[in-house]
Amino acid sequence: MKTVIRTLAVAAAATTLIATGAFAAEKGKSVGEAGYVWNSAGGEEDEALHLKPDAKAGKDVFEVCSACHQPEGWGLTDGTFPQLAGQHYRVIIKQLADIRAGNRDNPTMYPFALPSQIGGPQAVADVAAYIQTLKMNPDNGKGDGKDLELGKKLFADNCAKCHGANGEGDNDKFFPRIQAQHYSYLLRQYEGIKAGKRRNANPDMVKQIQNFSDRDTRAVLDYVSRLPAPKDKVAPKGWKNHDFD
Amino acid sequence: MHSSRKFVAAVAVSALGMLAAAAPALAADGKALFSAKGCVACHGVEARKPTLPTYPKLAGQNADYVFQQLSDIKSGTRANGQSAQVMKPIVAKISDEDLRALADYLGSLGPFAPATAQGPAGPGKQLFLSKTCFACHGKEGNKPVLKTYPFTAGQTKAYLLQQMKDIKSGKRTNGAVAAMAPVMHLVADEDMPAIADYLSNVK
Repeated sequence: MKTVIRTLAVAAAATTLIATGAFAAEKGKSVGEAGYVWNSAGGEEDEALHLKPDAKAGKDVFEVCSACHQPEGWGLTDGTFPQLAGQHYRVIIKQLADIRAGNRDNPTMYPFALPSQIGGPQAVADVAAYIQTLKMNPDNGKGDGKDLELGKKLFADNCAKCHGANGEGDNDKFFPRIQAQHYSYLLRQYEGIKAGKRRNANPDMVKQIQNFSDRDTRAVLDYVSRLPAPKDKVAPKGWKNHDFD
Repeated sequence: MHSSRKFVAAVAVSALGMLAAAAPALAADGKALFSAKGCVACHGVEARKPTLPTYPKLAGQNADYVFQQLSDIKSGTRANGQSAQVMKPIVAKISDEDLRALADYLGSLGPFAPATAQGPAGPGKQLFLSKTCFACHGKEGNKPVLKTYPFTAGQTKAYLLQQMKDIKSGKRTNGAVAAMAPVMHLVADEDMPAIADYLSNVK
């Protein structure tokens, strides 16, 4: 009798799950949770990383993204949407996979990371490859420029080790390029990482920035927003991407 | 297979069958509930024409979205506009199963707007595109990207305006509003009437 009840319960639960579409990828652990391993890979991220990308196909995928991230991939200077142009291939794949697996909470972005909107792991690889063809915004959103000396010191002492001497990041290690990113976007992510709200964060970073004051935060992120990207990665002023005209 | 396991399998299959068969029965309840609970009085017969311009059109709205709203109004998680004073006392007396039946019934009255519906060209339509609204609500507000997002094509103008205002100000925070609120600062208050006007005229 017990088995019958259990089977019925499982059947009922399965029907509900299927009906609500909750059979998405399994959520991983969150930063701060026991057993959390940053970038523990597996799942779609792994799949996408091993596929041969097609930037031409990625252009079709990016049309969806361009609605908010703009055709140039520059996002908005007020930081509502981050600049994607210039971001590392592996970083983009990881973040897309994490958002659609529910490892990184972003309600606004969530539908656009779903297979129903952009496609499977091949599409993820393709769009990441297309983004590599986009040159960066020569005039990204910046802070108020008032505390750059402090920012420079904090950056050198804390951030350069992983994000690079110029904030260029590291594709192999999945550390994002943060140079020339919009200040307000940096601020929002940084605060989310510090508070443990950005659940796919690197725990070393969470620990490192715990004791940063508000002043420290503003100073270092303003400094980062002003770190220039390599010249060959930056578009001329007023450049428009005509791929979606 | 042992006969006891065969029996368990048969029971499981029939249980799933019963669950599937129960669905149309619930939809029938939804129609009866829509009258019995007084919804017709404000939302109109078959939910097509609200009796006041500030009330939303419901016929054909996404069932999952409607259910979220009903649940949130019942719990107080959504309290903007007239949902607290007018709606809450009514839905407070409706069971969750009945709310689901109502939502499913309303979803079955589709389409919310015809597939070919178009709105007038003009500033409202331009804003609907440039402010990224179409990305989530679909072109002409008629193709929401998730079943938990609402159709807005042909919705009543005053209701749309109220929701935009309340989502921007933080007066309404329930459900998928978490996805919309972060982009509302891109929309100036003065832009909202034009957007509402455009959407209400999508037919």
